Amino acid sequence: MKKKAAIIACAALAVICLVSGGVYLARTAGVKAPGEIKVKGIFIEGQSGGDAETLNWILAADATSFSYVGHTLDSLATYDNDFNIQLRCLAKDIEVSPDGLVYTLTIRDDLRWSNGSPVTAEDYVYTLKNLMFSDWLNYPYKGDWQEEVNGEKVFVTPEVVNETTFTITRKTVYPEFVYTLYDLTPYPKYIAQKYEGDAEAFMRAPEFNNLSYTGNLGPYRFKEWNRNDRFVVERNPDYYLGKDVGAPYFEQYIIKLFGTSATRQAALEAGDITYTSIEPEQVIKFKGLRHIKVYTVPTSGYTILAYNQRANGWEGLKHKEVRQALSMAINKYGITQNILLGFAEPAFSFIPKVSPWYTEEGIVKYGVDALYDKQKAAEILYQLGYGVRQADGSIKVTDKDGKLLQLVLVVNVGSKPAEDMAFFIRKELLSLGIETEIKLVPWPTLLRGYVMNAVPGSKQEPAYNNGPEAVSQERWDFILMGFGTDPLAPSGSHVFFTTDGGLNFMGFSNPKVDELFARAKSKEALDKTVRQQVYAQLSRLLSEEQPVNFLAFHRANRGFQKNVMGIEPGVNMGYNYHLWYFE
Amino acid sequence: MRKGWLRDYILKRLLYSLIIAWGILTVTFILVRVGPSSPADKYLANIAARGQDPSQVIAAIEARYGLDKPVLQQYGEYIFNLLRGNWGWSLSTSMPVIELIKHHWIYSFQLILLSSLFAAIIGILIGIYSAVKQYTKADYAFTFLSFIGISIPNFWLGVMLILVFSVKLGLFKTYYDTTLPLFSLANLKALTLPVITLGTGMLAAYVRYTRSAMLDNLRKPFVTTARAKGLPEHIVIGKHVFRNALLPLVTIIMFDLGSIVFGGAYLTEIVFGIPGLGQVSFNAIFANDYPVVVAITLIGTLVVLLVNLVTDIAYTYLDPRIRYE
Repeated sequence: MKKKAAIIACAALAVICLVSGGVYLARTAGVKAPGEIKVKGIFIEGQSGGDAETLNWILAADATSFSYVGHTLDSLATYDNDFNIQLRCLAKDIEVSPDGLVYTLTIRDDLRWSNGSPVTAEDYVYTLKNLMFSDWLNYPYKGDWQEEVNGEKVFVTPEVVNETTFTITRKTVYPEFVYTLYDLTPYPKYIAQKYEGDAEAFMRAPEFNNLSYTGNLGPYRFKEWNRNDRFVVERNPDYYLGKDVGAPYFEQYIIKLFGTSATRQAALEAGDITYTSIEPEQVIKFKGLRHIKVYTVPTSGYTILAYNQRANGWEGLKHKEVRQALSMAINKYGITQNILLGFAEPAFSFIPKVSPWYTEEGIVKYGVDALYDKQKAAEILYQLGYGVRQADGSIKVTDKDGKLLQLVLVVNVGSKPAEDMAFFIRKELLSLGIETEIKLVPWPTLLRGYVMNAVPGSKQEPAYNNGPEAVSQERWDFILMGFGTDPLAPSGSHVFFTTDGGLNFMGFSNPKVDELFARAKSKEALDKTVRQQVYAQLSRLLSEEQPVNFLAFHRANRGFQKNVMGIEPGVNMGYNYHLWYFE
Repeated sequence: MRKGWLRDYILKRLLYSLIIAWGILTVTFILVRVGPSSPADKYLANIAARGQDPSQVIAAIEARYGLDKPVLQQYGEYIFNLLRGNWGWSLSTSMPVIELIKHHWIYSFQLILLSSLFAAIIGILIGIYSAVKQYTKADYAFTFLSFIGISIPNFWLGVMLILVFSVKLGLFKTYYDTTLPLFSLANLKALTLPVITLGTGMLAAYVRYTRSAMLDNLRKPFVTTARAKGLPEHIVIGKHVFRNALLPLVTIIMFDLGSIVFGGAYLTEIVFGIPGLGQVSFNAIFANDYPVVVAITLIGTLVVLLVNLVTDIAYTYLDPRIRYE
């Protein structure tokens, strides 16, 4: 009996070994073990979104600057494509006290600045206290590190515990604060002290503008930055994550800037660059090229059609039912399939599918299937008093007085998909009888003329949400634009959807939404089950309320030369780029 | 005698140029600052993505660069610094403006110089040939091609050249390589497509202008006289007709030079990824990088004024009858 069991167990083990071995081999086919990989080649990434502002990252407000610096300076942690935490400068994951107020961070003990001195907890605390929180330096993202206590904004309190450990103490609970901490990078105290208090000297400091302090903190070291042309970093042989595996495996990593997507893509096709993003209309062509591999990956960006619920928008937009009816009349598959060529999927609320907090349960799906129904939309608007029944029995949507409804849709000029979407929406609304005037305006005009607002007759400085009475300088009814949600910390989207949210330019207000966002940031949300429930309720409520018409979540296409190995396609596919190599 | 009045004229023009440059500098400085845009505008998407309060971030950025001070105070400080040789700090590239310009002017200069030479030499030669061989098949062919050349947008031509000669034939790199030594054959090769792109429109125009100016002069009595004197045809064309046709051509070439310095090269720079002053200035405009916008406007103004002055002086040598009071 025992023998039989042993044979069965051995057979089962053999099957498991074979299967798992097969799976492993299949997953790693063509992928070399670290010891077999040779350092060679120059990886050239093509970009056309504009250059970085500065390498002195504490002064930067743009994402490109942070991405440049990131090649030479690791943050505390990052995430893989499934949002599992990947430790970088942290020795272990951040510990959070049971009351959610104290965060204990322990960094690795093998981190070194360029002069060979160790990177210590003191460097991190100094960076926070003396630089990021200072008045003299004007760090743009101070707000990340502030909390509201008794109506006043105060900074969190960092403290050194020992050489490698420091704590950050809050006075209020914010469960998603941990994600802000993961992004933290330090300045070397021994250099920064020289410039302390003198913003201009700090801004011009050669050590910071040439990233000459980064030691072994990143896979690459700064080599050259030719503005509007290229940013070059070279392999860092001392990289703390590379010492056991010999990574990174490229001799240089270059970011080459292009003025247009056409020339950027031509460079990939010609083999002059290694990697770039591919426009939807070019994907089929690039997939057909033998030397190119295209990966289609999800993103957390989405396009919305904002409804102006302020006093200078069409008064119908203040009513939830009207917004729902309009959203019901716009075919989201028409946008995702015909305009975005299948590289997008319909959006119904603010949390993207890639987020661990995403839920479909109870989401109201306006604009697809049964809820894409123009006749029903017209009927609803008619019932609300916005329409007249014509002789043939059909309904023409009008204003309350039965007059032709003429609305204004504003969109940033220059993005073809956005312009196509605007014309598609106009066509959809026209079939209800609504005439839409499309205004294609430059980004600064869109911001200053339409998005920013102030109370008429007041001395308010225009802002993106100056309260419920505020209106924009120019009249608008719809604005087509892109929003983004942090997949791990969707509570950041409160800025768009809460009554006093800093970017709630459309004037949406719903006390229940305000309460749910507040709960997502409260102590009870330390319990992830509770947070999941809160986000599910928020998603449902916003899908029903339609503060904006959530149109489409985008997918991105990344084109690589086929000889680049080690890539793991996904939402955060660059997380292990120090392990990529040329075949 | 000639030297005396010309020297006075040059000095007077230089003085006027300085006054004009100061006026344009002042107007540009005030216009960019009183406009509705802010250097912080471009960060809004990132601010939104991070869930930040935009007004706080914008205020931080404006305070850092002193943009929250009254415009007149900013102007006073700018002029004071300018007189001391400090052109300010570029907000969008984080380096001194003068360093930025020093680093990037050469890319524009080599492109403009080579394109102008390419267009002027070939354009003028074809124009002369067309005029001399008026109404022949070659003249018709050059006329037809020059109309095409004038009509083709730079941007489109550049992309097509890349697709054919770089992507399909693999003869050139798809973008300009800034690491090549300035005085090298490799650099000359890298500039071939950009020069053709920028120069084609100008070349075609010079063909038309040269042909027209040559034909005007070919019909004049002095040509008949020269031929009657028995001068060889190449002397008649080269020394008599062409020299008289040069005057309007110089005006046009110099005018073109002024326009491309002020942004005509921008599209070519964009297409071929050449980080010249055209790109720098346009990026600065879109980023509301005031110090760079003002500096490049000032430099552009000075270049145009200088080109005009050189043109006027050239007139006096090409046609000794011209004299400025």
